[in-house]
Amino acid sequence: MPLPRWALALANDSGLAGGTGSSLAAVNSLPNVNERTLVAEAQAGSRAAFEELVHRYDRDVLRLALNLMKRPEDARDVYQEAFLKVYRNLHRFRFECSFYTWLYRIVTNVCLDQLRRRQARPEDQAPESNSGNHEEGITDFFERQREHRPALDPERQLFGKEIQARIASAMERLSPRERVVFELKHYQGLKLRAIGDALGTTEETVKNSLFRATRKLRSQLGGLR
Amino acid sequence: MSAPLQFQCREAAGLLVFYACGETSAQETALIETHLAACAACAAQLAEERGLHETLMEALQASEQFDMGGILLSQCRSELAEALDDLSAPPFEERWQPFGWLRRWMALRPVLSGAVLVLFGAALGTQLMPWISARLGSNPNEQTVNVSPAARFTDDQLAKMAVAGINFAPTSDGAPGTLQVHVRTEEPLVLSGNVDDPDLRRVLTYVIENGEQTDAGVRLDCLEVLRPRSADLDVRRALLFAARKDQNPAVRMKALESLRDAVKDAPVREALIDALEHDANPGVRVEAVNLLIRSLEPGALDSSQAPEPVLAAPGADRPLDPSMEHVVRTLQDLQRNDPNRYVRLQSAAALRQIGPREVH
Repeated sequence: MPLPRWALALANDSGLAGGTGSSLAAVNSLPNVNERTLVAEAQAGSRAAFEELVHRYDRDVLRLALNLMKRPEDARDVYQEAFLKVYRNLHRFRFECSFYTWLYRIVTNVCLDQLRRRQARPEDQAPESNSGNHEEGITDFFERQREHRPALDPERQLFGKEIQARIASAMERLSPRERVVFELKHYQGLKLRAIGDALGTTEETVKNSLFRATRKLRSQLGGLR
Repeated sequence: MSAPLQFQCREAAGLLVFYACGETSAQETALIETHLAACAACAAQLAEERGLHETLMEALQASEQFDMGGILLSQCRSELAEALDDLSAPPFEERWQPFGWLRRWMALRPVLSGAVLVLFGAALGTQLMPWISARLGSNPNEQTVNVSPAARFTDDQLAKMAVAGINFAPTSDGAPGTLQVHVRTEEPLVLSGNVDDPDLRRVLTYVIENGEQTDAGVRLDCLEVLRPRSADLDVRRALLFAARKDQNPAVRMKALESLRDAVKDAPVREALIDALEHDANPGVRVEAVNLLIRSLEPGALDSSQAPEPVLAAPGADRPLDPSMEHVVRTLQDLQRNDPNRYVRLQSAAALRQIGPREVH
């Protein structure tokens, strides 16, 4: 599984994006400007620079939000809230860490808040979407289009249905922090130290969370293969 | 051999999770790999760990399910752009800046601005506020007239006027309180001053003596204002008139109460006896009998107006003066016949105070 670009960036935490990502950026006016310059220009009030920053990382942000929240509407909320927080607080960013790390911290905190709210008030939440019930009763045009896309081949779909449901159920049993740590480690490919930075905690705490999460998942998913 | 291996197994088991995802240090990695080469159980556990990891990785992720075509990402970008537009737009207050030049001028000259504001506030308070309160607080047709002692109302004017209301603010130090009398004449007037102003006092006594022209509430207010001046002959005459003739029992009772300080005066005593004999209202009679008893107490009487004590020592047998004879007779009659029990009891008490007298 390819790692997100910001996972690679967090691994070396250089603070420079290197000007890549033209395939992701919808706004190409500033594709070759390095991240530090972009941040400085955005802090000076450049909307274009801020949008370039957004377009560099928003796919990864949405991906993380979707994987954690499991619901597109919640992921949209996370995306919006996170980037608006970045926009409002950009003047406080002092380049003490890389912009990735700072952004990741904001996104994971927003996700954690949402997950905790959901956990505190489960009655207010719609059930999580999963592949099992997603195929039945599809009424949305865009959702119907997905069936024709090559990535969703029938064999994988068939194989994944039951596993998907069990994994979703097992993930639900994790605490919000365990869920975020597991996602960041295994699906976003972050190192434990980077996860600690993003969550504002120590590597040891992250290790403990990952260990507990793995143990819970093993007990839930034992004998799956 | 088995003990150290068992210990290493326990230790290795705690690290296998991190070893499987490449999060062990070089030293830990070397130790684990040495242990795995010799321990089939731990190797099996590692295989299980990796299997679980692969299963999780192979499972379709939510991001793959929901946004494979980037539609959701496009929606998110559009929503964010709209939200940023809203945030970037200057708020309404900033766009609409009335007196912006004045604000900038004041910002550059804070001391001068402060002085100007103080002067402006003072002018507003002294000139504008009284004008506003005058416009809002009173009838626009009314004029405020400060009555000077020289201004005299004619009888004809008094006959035509009607008092709409009285505002009286008494003082605690005995000085006459401020008084405003709202008068309806051909042209509405507000007479202001105090109870010692002759014209105002004349208006008040006129109101009491011509009760049919004004509301009972206004007459009660007039009595309240005039009560401290019951020694004045005109005022006393008006109070006596109200005590005897006013149609409203509350006004009659208030008039009697206003005469409390003049109960030794013969006309007042006659008015009390008259009320006791003829007033149908028990409240008025109770007030009258109480005042009559008060008139019999030596301490309650004004020494300047009471040259001789009315009450004699018990057992004394002095002839009563004619007015006292009338009082005793009335009290005896009340003791026997008044329909109000309190009046009968009070009459008996008064007679006991007076002592055994032979009434001719």
